[in-house]
Amino acid sequence: TSSVLSKDKDKSAASKDGTPEGTAKRQKDGAETPKQQLLDIIGSMKVEVSYRKKLQQLKASENKQEGLGSKGSVPQGITEDIQRGKPLNPELVKAASAVASSLPRNKKQTESELLAQLRRHEETTDKQKKGEAINIRSVKVISEMTVKRQSPAQRGARISGRISLHFDEDGRRIRPERSAQSVDFRSLKVGKRLNIFTKTSTEPEHALKTVSSPTIWDLEFAKEIAAVTAQPPRNGFEEMIQWTKEGILWEFPIDNEVGMEDDAEFHEHIFLEKHLEGFPKGGPIHHFMELVICGLSKNPYLSVKQKVEHIEWFQKYFEDKKELLQEI
Amino acid sequence: PCPRQVRSYYVDWRMLRDVKRRRMAYEYADERLRINAIRKNSILPKELQEVADKEIAALPQDSCPVRIRNRCVLTSRPRGVKRRWRLSRIVFRHFADHAQMSGVQRAMW
Repeated sequence: TSSVLSKDKDKSAASKDGTPEGTAKRQKDGAETPKQQLLDIIGSMKVEVSYRKKLQQLKASENKQEGLGSKGSVPQGITEDIQRGKPLNPELVKAASAVASSLPRNKKQTESELLAQLRRHEETTDKQKKGEAINIRSVKVISEMTVKRQSPAQRGARISGRISLHFDEDGRRIRPERSAQSVDFRSLKVGKRLNIFTKTSTEPEHALKTVSSPTIWDLEFAKEIAAVTAQPPRNGFEEMIQWTKEGILWEFPIDNEVGMEDDAEFHEHIFLEKHLEGFPKGGPIHHFMELVICGLSKNPYLSVKQKVEHIEWFQKYFEDKKELLQEI
Repeated sequence: PCPRQVRSYYVDWRMLRDVKRRRMAYEYADERLRINAIRKNSILPKELQEVADKEIAALPQDSCPVRIRNRCVLTSRPRGVKRRWRLSRIVFRHFADHAQMSGVQRAMW
């Protein structure tokens, strides 16, 4: 609940760098009066939000920003670790330093804050005694769930970054690129499956149902409904609409090619010599068929199919009459 | 309740026969055209043309378009039928006087 409260309160993490530093130092000392305890709690609440966001960035930065200044700041991180007296995961340390270097303000403060948060995270995980894998998973889950919450925080940083851009004399737009990058690292399909919902395969059932359903009773029912709902036309316009649907009335503006779907190109209409192959070459028949083809090519009213049928009829006719022709 | 006469039959048997002839003529139109193309030809040999003559004579009589008579659609009157309206002169006059013919007016000049 405290984390929820913190989420509701805070929008930008960058401004909180001053206070977590102080709280981290206080925790190092270990002396906790009640007031200090309260302050610690408040400080920890505020920090958790930023921590989560940074954890996300951490995880993204582990993938993306490998060489970004991590080498330079690694020795710093290690020395800080040694100062604090607790061993942290070196990869996480590297990532924390990389993230801190990528962020615009107070790199050292953010780094120390990050490391403090990492330590506390490790403590809590040890206390719960669940094992690291599950915790990381749960943290990942929570971090993934809090994606929406982080965007206002990020937006604040982005807007503040953009404001700073105006003062940039170089005119280089590095800031918005980075903010765009910071938006991109959550995608829907990345991450471990939670197995909360079991995959139900309802598609084949639906397919079967739709195929077998149109029974006679269903058709009758549909007809009944159509007959009941079809009110007589109230005016001339509705009557015209009804007639157009039935096909009694043509559609305006009148389309001369309604019902005529001639997909053939012009060359199929004109160059019909290829259909002349079945006829005997030379002689009156060939002459006759050439004339037929000439006439057909000039005919705009027939479709290509009809023309081809015409020629085929002639072919059949002349084949039937072959014996007669050979007598001649 | 309909404002016009409802006609569910053809007016008389002659009209029915005329309808049958029209349908048959539509069926055999292509064949007749092709056989006639062979007949009315100066290139093909005459024997072929004679054979075509016999063939076309063998087709059913009602298939020739010459047998169709443009009768009046409403009264089946064979004579006095205007082609544009497919109506006999009497029916045409009847409707025109009752202002049921669009764009038709009594002539006066």
